[in-house]
Formats: sequence, structure tokens, C-alpha cells
Amino acid sequence: MSPEALELELARLHPAAFGWAMACCAGDRTAAEDALQASYLKILDGRARFAGRASFRTWLFAVVRNTAAELRRRAALRRLLPLAVLGETPDGRPDAATVLARADATGRLVAALATLPRRQREVLHLVFYQDLTITEAAEVAGVSLGTARTHYERGKAALRKLLKEEPP
Amino acid sequence: MTERNHADLGDRFHALRREDAAAAPPFDATLAAARARRAAPPRRRTRWLAAAAVVVVGVALALLFTRPDRHGRTIDLATVRWEGPTDFLLVLPGDELLRTVPDFGRVSVSTLPGAGFTTIDSDRRTP
Repeated sequence: MSPEALELELARLHPAAFGWAMACCAGDRTAAEDALQASYLKILDGRARFAGRASFRTWLFAVVRNTAAELRRRAALRRLLPLAVLGETPDGRPDAATVLARADATGRLVAALATLPRRQREVLHLVFYQDLTITEAAEVAGVSLGTARTHYERGKAALRKLLKEEPP
Repeated sequence: MTERNHADLGDRFHALRREDAAAAPPFDATLAAARARRAAPPRRRTRWLAAAAVVVVGVALALLFTRPDRHGRTIDLATVRWEGPTDFLLVLPGDELLRTVPDFGRVSVSTLPGAGFTTIDSDRRTP
């Protein structure tokens, strides 16, 4: 894929990729933008190459997911080091501005999702938000189809319960 | 497909998607920021090097102040004596001759342990 075609594909999928990055960073907008920029850089520098085994969207989401995980690990390490005072370190929680900007219903959904285990949250996001099949969600999350299906069923049941318990 | 039969959850997620799409940063700005990151790796590297230096210095100081002071402690060798379990093999009959200065004309010979000293007078002449 030529660099121009790559950029066009990235531009087309940018809103969806941003939503996925937000999900990978637990609603922290700064961390999501950071993960997205690092992912684009990886792709444009050729450190992440699209081999055509999956769809471009599935592959892009997997890159974003892995990059967000790398940044999360680095941030956790930086919080342990004394140099954490030199730079602002994202703590993996939704920032206040993003939470305030959410509508009431979506705010409750985000709050309920935040209580679920990461894998369940990821699979639910990929299926309901990104309209992927469970098979594609399994590819992005790097798990088997059976595992993805289990996360999907358990996550869905837990999310329904949480949303039913919400105040009217 | 079973995953498509949940309109209630789907509607909620789609509302979230619309909100995120409206709040997403422009693609060009994201790409420009990504390219700007490429131009500025030394700052991050410097920060990591500084962190490593702080850790190394901290460990060195901790070792310096917590380990026992080997150079400052003096050992009085005169008070230290180690006796090995086979030292008795080195004790020989008559080894007093080697450790004492004999009188001229008189020779002290120790015999077996417990026998005491036998003095031989060298002036006595046998007929």
C-alpha cells in the first residue's frame, strides 16, 4: 500500500479509530490522542505493516490497541520512577472535561463500561460501537473466538445488569 | 447474528459513537502531531537517561550507607588465634631445643611429654 493510499485509509477510519483509542484508554482523551498519534507514526514509519491477512480496519484497531497498552505500561513505570514529577503522566482514568461533556445516557454507559474487566469492555465496544463481528473482535483483541464469545456474553449480561440498576 | 439482536445496547453505543465522532480531533491535526513526535525523540531519551542516572546514584548511595564499613574497621591480629584440629601433629618431642637458647656446656633435652627435663653436664668425663 502506497503512503498516499495509507493516509487516505487512515483519514477515512479516523473517527472510528479515535473512538477505539478512547475505549482502549478508558475514556482518557489525552491518552487516547497520544495512542492514536503513536499508532499513526508506527504505520507511516513502517514499524507496523499491513500484511493483508485481515481487513485494514481490524489491523488498524489491533495496532491502536497494542500501542495504547505500551503507553499504559510506560505510564505505569513512569509513575513509579521519581521522574514522574517532570512530566504529566496519564493515570488511565477519564478526564474531567470528557466526563462533563458527555450526555447523561452516554455518561451512564461509559461509567458502567468502566466497571467491567478490560477484555469484556473491549469486545463489547468492538461489537456494538464499531459494528464488528465477534470473529473480527477476537482478531483485534488477540484472543480466540471462543474466548471473545465468552467475554461478549459475560460483558453483555454485566452491562445490562448495571444499566438496569441505574437511577430512573 | 446473535450480536445484532440487542438494539437497546446498540442504540446506546451508537449515541456514544456520535458523541465521540463530534469530539474527535481533526485527522490532519493528529497526523501533524504524530509527525512532530518523530522530530522530537531526544527529549524523551534524555528524560529516560536522567531517570536511569537517578536510579544508579540512589542504589550506589544506598549501598554505601547500608553496607558494613570494611576499611574503617581494624582487626587486632594479636587477639586472634585460630587453632586447627590437626595442630597437635605439629608438636614434636624436643621442639623446645629449637625455641630456647641453650647454655654453653649444658644441654636441656626434653624427653617424652611428662618426663620433664634431663640436664647433661658436659664437664663430667667418663673414666
